[in-house]
Amino acid sequence: MKKPEAAFFSRVLMMGNEAAAEGAIRAGCQCYFGYPITPQNELTAYMAKHMPERGRVFIQAESEVAAISMVFGASVAGARAMTSSSSPGISLKQEGISYMAGCQLPAVIINVQRGGPGLGSIDPSQGDYFQATKGGGHGDYHIIVLAPASAQEMHDMTMQAFILADQYRIPVMILADGRVGQMMEPVRLYEDSPPPAPPKPWALTGAKGRPPQYIRSLFMEERALEKHNYELQACYRQITATEIKAEETETGDCEWLIAAWGTCARISKGVVQKARAQGIKAGLVRPITLWPFPHERLARLARRSQVKALLVVEMNCGQMLEDVRLAVNGAAPVRFSGYPGGRVPTETDVLNALIELTKTNHHGKVEQPAV
Amino acid sequence: MKTPTSGYQRPASLTDAAMHYCAGCGHSSVHKLLAEVLDELEIRERTVGVAPVGCAVFAYFYFKCDISEAAHGRAAAVATGIKRALPDRIVFSYQGDGDLAAIGLTETVHAANRGEPITVIFINNTVYGMTGGQMAPTTLAGQITATSPTGRNPATMGCPIRMCELLNTLEQPYYIERVALDGHGGMVATKKALLTAFQTQVSGKGYSFVEVLSPCPTHFRCSPQDSLKFVGQKMAAQFPVRIFRKEGVPVHA
Amino acid sequence: MHERILIAGSGGQGVISIGKLLARLAAETIQHITFFPAYGAEVRGGTSNCQVILSSNEIAAPIAEKFDSLLVMNQQSTDHFMPLLDKNGLAVINQSMCKAHADDRHVLVPATEIADRLGNAKAANFVMLGVWLARKPLIPNRTVENAMATHFPDAPPALIDINIRAFRAGLDFSSSGDRKA
Repeated sequence: MKKPEAAFFSRVLMMGNEAAAEGAIRAGCQCYFGYPITPQNELTAYMAKHMPERGRVFIQAESEVAAISMVFGASVAGARAMTSSSSPGISLKQEGISYMAGCQLPAVIINVQRGGPGLGSIDPSQGDYFQATKGGGHGDYHIIVLAPASAQEMHDMTMQAFILADQYRIPVMILADGRVGQMMEPVRLYEDSPPPAPPKPWALTGAKGRPPQYIRSLFMEERALEKHNYELQACYRQITATEIKAEETETGDCEWLIAAWGTCARISKGVVQKARAQGIKAGLVRPITLWPFPHERLARLARRSQVKALLVVEMNCGQMLEDVRLAVNGAAPVRFSGYPGGRVPTETDVLNALIELTKTNHHGKVEQPAV
Repeated sequence: MKTPTSGYQRPASLTDAAMHYCAGCGHSSVHKLLAEVLDELEIRERTVGVAPVGCAVFAYFYFKCDISEAAHGRAAAVATGIKRALPDRIVFSYQGDGDLAAIGLTETVHAANRGEPITVIFINNTVYGMTGGQMAPTTLAGQITATSPTGRNPATMGCPIRMCELLNTLEQPYYIERVALDGHGGMVATKKALLTAFQTQVSGKGYSFVEVLSPCPTHFRCSPQDSLKFVGQKMAAQFPVRIFRKEGVPVHA
Repeated sequence: MHERILIAGSGGQGVISIGKLLARLAAETIQHITFFPAYGAEVRGGTSNCQVILSSNEIAAPIAEKFDSLLVMNQQSTDHFMPLLDKNGLAVINQSMCKAHADDRHVLVPATEIADRLGNAKAANFVMLGVWLARKPLIPNRTVENAMATHFPDAPPALIDINIRAFRAGLDFSSSGDRKA
């Protein structure tokens, strides 16, 4: 991902939800369409106040389905457009997300996850990893998924999301959680003019001085859909080749590798320090792009001879776990420490799981079933 | 405004593509009338249309203006997004009865309620045509369809929804009219209604809605001639043909 | 420096207000801050709490398990959160609303009574903040007083005045000798 160049910053204390909203505004988001749902309401309220002030579009839609369809329309017209919601609302948006993937339309969708399935709870969760990274809607597609762990990252990643969306003509999702959305932290705000959008000759702006054009995801002509899907896959390969992002902490000599994303990655970072203080050589790998997933990075780390086992930490029952196991492919045992009840794990919870792991015999690095 | 072209020329706003519609289908007629209106108002180059899911899904092959697809029922929301992003363009949606009055009822009502300055063209032929003639929200009582094989029974399947009347309960719409495509007179009336609707948008007045009672000989299971009679008699009896809202004011029957 | 603070009370006692104020003001001089207002299941039953972590180093886990400071304003919060006080921690307890056992780590202050005498019992949260800040001078007192008007722009001047006096009363309470229970 390219960083916006020549940016100047000012530092303010902001809630994650507000930091994301301000990030969208500073990224040049022209249209925002929302619908109330906890724990992301501050984002919608922030946009309701600040978008009209700047002469930009804010609509509280009649449903999440309508909101994503309005994003579709604004994107069709060439505008930078965004919606936000939380898990149950994101399920409703999958229709529009699939259509935008099919129509190759850029858009930004923020999911401040809450517990599930169903109505679940309003507490933080990471239960939508599968939905976000494995499609979510129908059809053979991917969207880019970014996982922030701080208010600063809510700001920065929302900006990056607009850049990536325009660059690859693809929906980009910010997969946050209630914790990241609700907490306040100092945020350095991007203070340059919005990163320029690339030309959008495909946008529907009226056929003035050019042949009329259309945007569609329906391909009934012989082999047209096959060709279209190959084009989409080529785009996904390009994204996978250039946009994978992961962060490593203390992985140089680590024997016990934690893999975690979002809020759990942040907690695990603290665990690494605590474990090392006790003489356990722990390290952390944190995927920042959940799709594309850093499979090769994980595989490389797991194959190192000193790595004895991996511990995947998530606020769910084991979702990124599957990608980690695919990446590791038996090179090291992969264990799991999961928290599916809307409770954010403490450092002690994760540290205990790690200590437990170190007590297990890992001769020959045979893969063991997840706990 | 351009002088209307005489009778049987192909409007400049239509492409040369041969339409896929069945013989006697109302869609091809309404397409032509709509294209004539785009020509006469000279707005083709600043118009963006939204096609539905249904028989008119391929509208983008036929109109010589920019057209976007929309998911089933979402055309009014998609049109809202386009119009808000590009307020100086002319934005219309073109939808059937299943799309507009069943799965898209919410989007339809709320776009009208916000008074989005778009033009919504509603083709009511009482059936889901594309999928094989299933019961629609506007199917008449007793009417036989693929999913009401013994006739629509109001006791368990409800009664036909009158969209113009429903939308006319809202404060914001500026223009609402129902016409019947039941012959030459119906063609003239439909053209006039479409012209008024687009003029409403061109002059920045607000939301306009035209419901066209339209023949579907295939699923009415009758000849094109008889399907016109069905529209003019049976359908018009259930769906009164008149102006409901003019210049923002309800018109009483 | 790594200070983990938890402020708790019943809804309406202004615990989120002073937590947010503290975080905002700390942001001027302290590099790393996390403020988390409890929401969801945690706040049902009329209780309210927030965590503030102030640190000179990057804050890894944004939630604390033990706290260096507890500001508790009602009995329920005292019962629930006192076990989370670090062994070297400091608890400021609103004596007007809570029974608490004597402990070297506790400062018992009749915050609600003090605020009530000043004209508004709802200013008890500022008494608590004053007491705590006198013991843990992590931000200058003047900064707090100056921010009262700017931080609460919708508050009437009379209320701001009471809040400032409540805050000063808290500072004085701490400095007026050994008032530990």
